[in-house]
Amino acid sequence: MAGFADLNVPQGADKKSLQSLLEATAHLGYSVVALNHVIDFKEKKQEIIKPVSPSELFPSLPIVQGTSKRIKVLTRLTLVVSDPSHCNLLRSTSANIRLYDIIAVFPKTEKLFHIACTTLDVDLVCINVTEKLPFYFRRPPVNMAIDRGIYFELLYTPAIKDSTMRRYTISNAISLMQICKGKNIVISSAAERPLELRGPYDVANLGLLFGLSEGEAKAAVSTNCRATMLHGETRKSACGVVYTVKKPRKVEEEETAVPACKKAKTQA
Amino acid sequence: MLPAQLGRAPRHLLVCERGHARHPRSRHAAHVRDHAYSCRVSFLIPECGLLPEVLKSTIADFGEYYLVRNLPIHELVAHEFIDAFVKKGSCYALAYKTKIDQDNTAALLPNGKLILSVDKDTYEELGLQGRPSRYSGKKVMRYIITVDLTDAGFHPESKKHNRVLWALKEKKPLEFDFLLAWYNTGAEGSTLMSYFSKNQIQALKPKITFSTLRDLQCPVLQSNDLQGKPEESCSTEELFEWLGAVLNQVSLDNKSSSFLSTYCCPEPNTVVEKAFLCTITGFIIPEKIIQLLEQLCCYFGEPKLAHWLTLTVHGFADSPVSWRESEHGFHKGGENLYNFVIFRNLDYWLHMAVGTHDDCPP
Repeated sequence: MAGFADLNVPQGADKKSLQSLLEATAHLGYSVVALNHVIDFKEKKQEIIKPVSPSELFPSLPIVQGTSKRIKVLTRLTLVVSDPSHCNLLRSTSANIRLYDIIAVFPKTEKLFHIACTTLDVDLVCINVTEKLPFYFRRPPVNMAIDRGIYFELLYTPAIKDSTMRRYTISNAISLMQICKGKNIVISSAAERPLELRGPYDVANLGLLFGLSEGEAKAAVSTNCRATMLHGETRKSACGVVYTVKKPRKVEEEETAVPACKKAKTQA
Repeated sequence: MLPAQLGRAPRHLLVCERGHARHPRSRHAAHVRDHAYSCRVSFLIPECGLLPEVLKSTIADFGEYYLVRNLPIHELVAHEFIDAFVKKGSCYALAYKTKIDQDNTAALLPNGKLILSVDKDTYEELGLQGRPSRYSGKKVMRYIITVDLTDAGFHPESKKHNRVLWALKEKKPLEFDFLLAWYNTGAEGSTLMSYFSKNQIQALKPKITFSTLRDLQCPVLQSNDLQGKPEESCSTEELFEWLGAVLNQVSLDNKSSSFLSTYCCPEPNTVVEKAFLCTITGFIIPEKIIQLLEQLCCYFGEPKLAHWLTLTVHGFADSPVSWRESEHGFHKGGENLYNFVIFRNLDYWLHMAVGTHDDCPP
């Protein structure tokens, strides 16, 4: 079992509120947090900026409650796509995209969901929980996504905020479970305030409501998040086995490091 | 169309046993010795206002335990340590502030076995032989490595020893904060404090609290009847629930204004004017618990008002083993506890309770 992770903490502009959010997640027991930067293409053209390094934002990271290790902060990019032309950004070898640890896509139509599951190079596919799904899930794209190692993300904070969204969250989640049978699910918050966060065991209990079994629900907060992070790391490597690190200019050759047991399709 | 499993609580087990403390084949001491790591011991004596002197001195005699920060595991495998502590007496060590379902954990049992519970990445980097955890599911995420330090094949020049030392020292150095305790069987030699004086070692005493409960409703029990009879005595499960309520200071009156609990003391019950509750928290070793158990049995040597008394021992939620060497896991809760109920005639009831990712206690 891996440490608990919350893969969706919106990166707001305010540094102080982000710091208090981070302290709340560390206090609740999460070992890894991913700061999410959302790009919505419906608004006028946005440039993908370089991710802010967590060490600049937070001079000292809080210690996870119950252990003596510090919380780990990753960077994540979410693309909200409603048109096939938006996906071109992912296919282009834009330098800035490669700097993010995790890349997620939020498809708005059925065609885009199919494209995201089958061809796009992403780690997470977000499932809409705030409104009724405009399309039904079909088995072929979902099974292909599971084979490629892509995980489906469900949010739980909208369910805390509003009762209508609670209904949509549960109904959308249950319809997803009927197709994917509980595999490859990640549950995360999209909490903007510390009050909207919940502890990892509570989130695992929420997974039971969505139709997951006890083991799958706990994995949705721990093991599957670890697999997503590894999937993101393989994007920085060649076939997921070798990655290069630039050494400062010396006469020796470039250093290659082999991480233990990584493949392009994560079997973690 | 909500799934049917929502109504079910996570799996848990309660084993109840009955015996007599002075019977030659009684296994009460053996059960205590099998459960190596205890973090809290509490005993409840009804109809008792003041603790007898002999019990007070037994508690005060619980000894110290040590907390060592950032101790690399290869120091526990070093032969000086094994000869000085593991082979002479019982040495207990448990990693502190690690979670069994998230991080790597280590424990040293008194029979000389070092248990390492590591996650998949660490196992693959460490290079020692282990087996997958039983509670890991289809995709194995946790492995258990057992090293027998007292094995005849583990002498300083053997291949086994060199391999273990290489793995823990050079390949993947692991270090934890350890809780240590040593039960010395009278042999002379260095103490843990002096051996680890170069690391940050701290000696700690267990925390002891006393309280007297007034007007407590106690169930009526018959020592020879575990199931209880409807109007005459309570069953073991009812006693276990009641004891949990009392030790957690849950009120038993079922007041209509209370939102926390509607629990009532099981029938038939009597109201006891006062009861003595003592709680000891720390890293407590089984040898001391056996001494305490003996003294509690001697409590009934003189005539007393109480019909029975209880001794409850909680294990660590994050320890890698529960009883003997059976693996312990943490799913939604990591409880592994046992409870003695000792009657006037020295009959005893023993409850052993475990949570979800645990084997049935012996």
